[in-house]
Amino acid sequence: MDGDRFNEALESADDRIVAGRAADGDTAAFAVLVRRYTPMMRAYTHRILSGSAEVDDVVQESFITAWQRLPELDDPGKVKSWLMRISSRKSIDRARAHRPHTDIDNIDAPAPAHNTPPQLAETQAGVAALGAALQELPDAQRACWVLRELGEYGYDEIAQELDLPTSTVRGLLARARKHILVQMEQWR
Amino acid sequence: MTDKHDTPSVQNLKLEPEDLDGHTLEELTDYLAAGRTPPNASIDASPGCQIVLDALERLHALTPQLLVEDAQAKPVDEGWVQKILAGIALDARAGRRIPIPTPLPRADLGITEGAVRGLIRGAERAVPGAVVGRCRLEGEVTQEGAPIHILIDASVAYGEPIPDVAQRLRAEIAERLSAHTRLNITEIDITVYDIQKLPTPVEDDGEDK
Repeated sequence: MDGDRFNEALESADDRIVAGRAADGDTAAFAVLVRRYTPMMRAYTHRILSGSAEVDDVVQESFITAWQRLPELDDPGKVKSWLMRISSRKSIDRARAHRPHTDIDNIDAPAPAHNTPPQLAETQAGVAALGAALQELPDAQRACWVLRELGEYGYDEIAQELDLPTSTVRGLLARARKHILVQMEQWR
Repeated sequence: MTDKHDTPSVQNLKLEPEDLDGHTLEELTDYLAAGRTPPNASIDASPGCQIVLDALERLHALTPQLLVEDAQAKPVDEGWVQKILAGIALDARAGRRIPIPTPLPRADLGITEGAVRGLIRGAERAVPGAVVGRCRLEGEVTQEGAPIHILIDASVAYGEPIPDVAQRLRAEIAERLSAHTRLNITEIDITVYDIQKLPTPVEDDGEDK
């Protein structure tokens, strides 16, 4: 009973407490971080890599690196964006190593929206359309867009991460935005 | 979608500078990100720009959903969590070695900093609702008798006076450390970073009494 109550308290404690504890070597706290952020890390990684086959590998590797490097994290309260950075890097490395090519015919169709309220169905269809537009992009454009819009990276940070000149990143982002915007307006 | 305004028809989304009264998509993206401030009269007066700004706003509302939608797709099962835990090195956080004086000749006793942190964290069990976060030992722990200053982050249960909780935690930590180490603790600083309202009430009035 006391154990349950304690686990409950740990499970719902804020990031600073949980990540600080994990940095000190508490594996139960690290497990809380894994449970808390796996869905977000999978989603994010999935958006950077167009295919989903390697997503779990990247997320697992990211968590293992995170465990090793947690003591270096100055502000444990920022663990979420720090985790995203680790998975960005792993995803980019993975994409570089394999150069997966995007098959435009292979895009998932938007999921059928049975039994969902119209507002929600519309959002889901919108997200599916956005996901599809994203998948159509060449790898470099997609990586730039995801890092910028989901990862909240600055232009210079993207340039550093992708080892490209900032001017190139600007160009890639401009093309990515244009493509996505045109696709989304067509979907409407 | 009901659009009662002059519907910007699908094929007509024009994104070239000549369609945007000389502005670019990048400029409009930045303008929107800055909350349309400071106001730019030329952008605000351009119908082409307004159409694109509206489209950008719709896109921005949708973008964060990319992470949410996916996040709901696959639940995190315990097997996954265990697989990751199995892959991490458990001895990575031993930290410094703290000597423990012993009267026995040729004996060399010590405890790791990691184990001491574990002892300190364990103090939370005596204070229902409290969770200890990061814990630092400042001072030369490797030298016997050196003054040591302990700093911990903590989360406490909602509804309890913080000074009381901190005092109970501090007393428990001091007791545990004096039972298991010879550290010369001069100070125990507790910073409460989080106050949690727990689904299970902390007080058990009734049955157990």
